[in-house]
Amino acid sequence: MKQMDLMGWLFLFLGLPLILLLTLPLISMTTEPSAAMLKETIADKDVVAAIARSISLSLCAAGLAFIMGTPLAYLLARKELPGKRLLEGIIDLPIMIPHPVVGIAILSLAGRNHPIGHFLSDVGIQIMGTKTGIICVLLFVGLPFYINTVKSGFDSVPVRLENASRTLGAGALTTFIRITFPLTWRHMILGIIMCTARAISEFGAVVIVAYHPMTAPVMIYERFTAFGLKYSQPIAVWLIFISFVLFVMLRMLSKSIHPYNR
Amino acid sequence: MISLHHINLHLPDFSLTDIHLQVHRHDFFALIGPTGSGKSLLLEGIMGIMPFTSGILLSDGRDITRFPVEKRNLALVYQDFALFPHLNVFKNTLYGTTFHNISKKEAGQRFTYLVSALGLEKIVHRYPHNLSGGEKQRVALARSLILNPQVLLLDEPLSALDPVFHDEARQLLKKVHKELRMTIIMVSHNFDEVLYLANRGAIIKGGRIMHQGDILSIFEKPDSRFTANFVGMKNIMPYHLNGSSLQITGTRLEIIPHCPPDPAHQYMGIRPENILFHIPGNPVCKNHFTGKIKDIASCGVFLRVQLETQGVMFEAVWPAAHIKQFRLETGKTAAFGFPSVAVHTF
Repeated sequence: MKQMDLMGWLFLFLGLPLILLLTLPLISMTTEPSAAMLKETIADKDVVAAIARSISLSLCAAGLAFIMGTPLAYLLARKELPGKRLLEGIIDLPIMIPHPVVGIAILSLAGRNHPIGHFLSDVGIQIMGTKTGIICVLLFVGLPFYINTVKSGFDSVPVRLENASRTLGAGALTTFIRITFPLTWRHMILGIIMCTARAISEFGAVVIVAYHPMTAPVMIYERFTAFGLKYSQPIAVWLIFISFVLFVMLRMLSKSIHPYNR
Repeated sequence: MISLHHINLHLPDFSLTDIHLQVHRHDFFALIGPTGSGKSLLLEGIMGIMPFTSGILLSDGRDITRFPVEKRNLALVYQDFALFPHLNVFKNTLYGTTFHNISKKEAGQRFTYLVSALGLEKIVHRYPHNLSGGEKQRVALARSLILNPQVLLLDEPLSALDPVFHDEARQLLKKVHKELRMTIIMVSHNFDEVLYLANRGAIIKGGRIMHQGDILSIFEKPDSRFTANFVGMKNIMPYHLNGSSLQITGTRLEIIPHCPPDPAHQYMGIRPENILFHIPGNPVCKNHFTGKIKDIASCGVFLRVQLETQGVMFEAVWPAAHIKQFRLETGKTAAFGFPSVAVHTF
């Protein structure tokens, strides 16, 4: 690691306002609620259920991203598909569009007036006001983070390794399972973390598709509008704390597996 | 053993064109060519990684042109060895055995033999990132040889190695070829290693085979200016026949060849190491001259000497000891010559 020189100090000085912008509100928010208030909040069954719902539904969305997004990321990394650039653009779209628009778009598709909504209703799948709807929204907003992270993982595995596996007698799918997957699954864990993190924080789209059952961000918003800052802060602190612990655990898991990366 | 007939492979920016090649059983066959000539692409085509656009590839008389990579019973060792970084040496070496219906007992026996033959005993539990270049090469060879492939393909096997491992690796490849009686196709752009290892070969340029045959014959009797240049032949000059001797175009210099050249030939060439230093007044070759030393440049333990006689420049490679002993230096005259058999026309 290089010692800080004059240029390093100058750049740190320029970047300092950003660091403060990120840390001060968080420090203020997490230190303001008293211990008694935090204890009282976590004893509230509705709060625990909302936080658990946020995390579990976000993990569900990340799980779906893993199952369906991994093959798609592989295709984008390895194959020349017709309209590949267009597809990559479409995958990045949820990062750019306002989140309430996402909610409205999903609702318009799932409404009874749309053939897809009609079909879903016929087979008993409800989107509006259900966990399914929330997962759908969370997958929508989290997918670009998963796909892009995993795609860069596949990009980092030399094609030569896959070819070498084929020359040794392994078929294409076996090569994927025995060579490509073990070499990229840290990226998949990272993708799951990114996708989950994005999903846990989602409010704008969720509030349109499903105000109830209530996720933690919706509950924070509701407590803020109904009772003020004091009552919304402790939920936010618990959400941040639990999410932080979860992500640290996932990161540790991904670090501990590969002896060749020590 | 391996025959390629009318092989074409078209990529957007490069093509292999009308390739004919014959590799015999137990050959150590070298595909030689400059960078970008298509030799590695041809190797990948034979392996099936880059499917040929047209043509026929036969292995032991069987058409394998459309066989998938894993069904060809060929093995490829990459330039950088392509060891799987998440598997240790043991698992890397045994990787392919599960796909070839090799029983565990048989795989174990082959593994034990290869570990001993290739000196892998101390590294079987190491991961690739803890191996030297030479060790990686041995593991990559073991990983392919354990499958007992019909043909072993080597993509520039020595170019990724430090000079320290070069000699050791060359000897290892020679040993593998000799002891296991393998058929090997090797890609290389280094004629020194090809001369040491291969018995037959082909020169490839711009996706076309320029010359194929016995390695010594390619080296000593190239059939084109390109091949002559590529294999290090110097003193390449146009000539015309003057009775039984060759007169260098534009000069009065005459050279006596070993046998009458083909009337279609236009150029002659002499390898620089075949131009010999003569003690003045004691010529030992039929073709002998006295010339002025125009330049002396070092090329390792030998010196590259430029000699001018009758307006013709010759390049010779002489031991540094000669230069020192006879006090040769730029501007002085020197007697030199070459035997008639060293004169090659094409």
